[in-house]
Amino acid sequence: MSESARPAEPIEDFEDLYDSAPCGYLSLTDDGRIFLANRRISQWLGIAQAELIGRRIQDILSVPGRIFYETNISPLLRMQGFVDEVAMDFLTADRIKVPCLVNASERRDSEGRLQFTRLAIFQAAERRRYERALIDTAEATRAEVTSERETSQLREQFIAVLGHDLRNPLASIASGVRLLTDRETLSVKGQRVLLLMQGSVGRASDLIDNVLDFARGRLGGGITLNRDAQAPLTPVLEQVVGEIVSASPERDIRTYFAIAEPIDCDRTRISQLLSNLLGNAVMHGAKTEPILIEAKSDRERFTLSVVNGGRPIGEAAMARLFQPFFRGEIRPNQLGLGLGLHIASEIAKAHEGELTVASDESHTRFTFSMPLARRVEDPD
Amino acid sequence: MSVLQRNNVQLAGQGDRAMVFAHGFGCDQNMWRLVAPAFEDGYRTILFDQVGSGASDLSAYSADRYGDLQAYADDLVEICRELALHDAVFVGHSVSAMIGVLASLSDPSLFADLVLVSPSPRYIDDGAYLGGFTAADIDELLESLADNHLGWSALMAPVIMGNPDRPELSEELTNSFCRTDPAIAKDFARVTFTSDNRTDLSKVTARTLILQCREDAIAPVQVGEYVRDHIAGSEMVLLDATGHCPNLSAPQNVIAAIRAFV
Repeated sequence: MSESARPAEPIEDFEDLYDSAPCGYLSLTDDGRIFLANRRISQWLGIAQAELIGRRIQDILSVPGRIFYETNISPLLRMQGFVDEVAMDFLTADRIKVPCLVNASERRDSEGRLQFTRLAIFQAAERRRYERALIDTAEATRAEVTSERETSQLREQFIAVLGHDLRNPLASIASGVRLLTDRETLSVKGQRVLLLMQGSVGRASDLIDNVLDFARGRLGGGITLNRDAQAPLTPVLEQVVGEIVSASPERDIRTYFAIAEPIDCDRTRISQLLSNLLGNAVMHGAKTEPILIEAKSDRERFTLSVVNGGRPIGEAAMARLFQPFFRGEIRPNQLGLGLGLHIASEIAKAHEGELTVASDESHTRFTFSMPLARRVEDPD
Repeated sequence: MSVLQRNNVQLAGQGDRAMVFAHGFGCDQNMWRLVAPAFEDGYRTILFDQVGSGASDLSAYSADRYGDLQAYADDLVEICRELALHDAVFVGHSVSAMIGVLASLSDPSLFADLVLVSPSPRYIDDGAYLGGFTAADIDELLESLADNHLGWSALMAPVIMGNPDRPELSEELTNSFCRTDPAIAKDFARVTFTSDNRTDLSKVTARTLILQCREDAIAPVQVGEYVRDHIAGSEMVLLDATGHCPNLSAPQNVIAAIRAFV
């Protein structure tokens, strides 16, 4: 067994380390001139070491690199004494760019005066190309998002304008129908047709209101309330029910109102909410079962619920019920925009209240509930 | 948000006259760290960050509003009016030299003296005029700026933008005082390097001093001479300094030249 001598520790050759290090080294005088350069950087740039000496660092940088050096790197060096991970393009003797990453630090004397600046330069063509691709992708994505956003805003504005413009002809139709109902003698069949038309006009008008509210909400306006703490709510709710009853005379719709008036709320909005809930119940509830509307108030809260029979709402549907454009399982003759419940829940929120739903095999119940904290007490 | 908060205006010093320092493209009011304190004994010193730079209110920035140098000049006028300045000394570096010129044309009562440090009324060559760059150079600059703003993210912005209560946070971040939202840096670079204020020079009525470095890759000597030749009665001092930022590389020379002038 031979005695194997431990190999001697290798001795680093510092002169060679400087010249052949796997990175370029430059040392700059206080006014930015190269006074020392290693062989590596000389090889990369194809410029002899001796020829680099005395040149200004800016002379071997690309134009953007030169501007960035003057406006950012040089101030940073003076302020903090170093910079790390700066991207710079150096220029070869043939003015071809060599993409690099650079760390630099200042050497200062005991008084803090700058003696010289050292640069360590790493070729980074691959990495810089990869980063450039990332930046390009990010910029392309940003441009796409901006353009999409503009398009969708335009679309929403268009919807808002369209909805608004539809109101006028619809109002003419409504007053025409009213005129015929009040002033003309019509056959039984004619009266039935007018009744249907009235219901359709009402529904169309509700749809427009919902679309307008939705567009306004998306455009940043949100649901605005016009509260009235004095006027009674019951007659307004009764009117909504009356309209639906006359449009769907075959349905059994029952009301239980026990409201301690007045309720401090936006009555137009609450009737829009009820109209949406009731329209929903008529459309989706079992035709053979009654629809119940309960409205009541105690000292703390006002609650309004609409109950219908029929199949329960599935769990998946439940989760998205109040989202805009949700339409459940679409069946023939049940087309709508799917905004009704969304707007109703927005109206509830605007009243600092909530809209909830409970659904089982026997009933589906939507309940709107709002606090009465804002209630104005009778002065006495 | 008030104008003074928007531009992160910092007041120091005492005296009858005010001296306003404006930083150029690239960094923020820290550029004056080695110069401004020398004037605190005798002057009210006013430092600020251009909107989009330093600790200015980034939410006040929009590319539309800051589409030209006049918008920055308007901000400067607002700051001066807010502080009720009259016949103040304006010291502007780099692009802010021209911003000061525009502000003094908007309201000549604001500044009695203009000190233009490394100014350029136009960076791009134009016929016989040699600004130092071609249009293609500037396009290349705008393209490449993002290469050095990789570390930026909106999340880091509040930290970078200065957090006086927790200085250790910013110390962890190198290069912090030159960090800018890359999109804003690109806009500001475009506005700066495509500006042309040559025709404004002859309208200047304030006393004007031009401080020029010997070797400045951004604003070469012939550009400083052009400014001197076109502002009536102005004088130019050639500093014994190289580079574009004598306020950092040769602060004593800058201080001495300003003192001799005002």
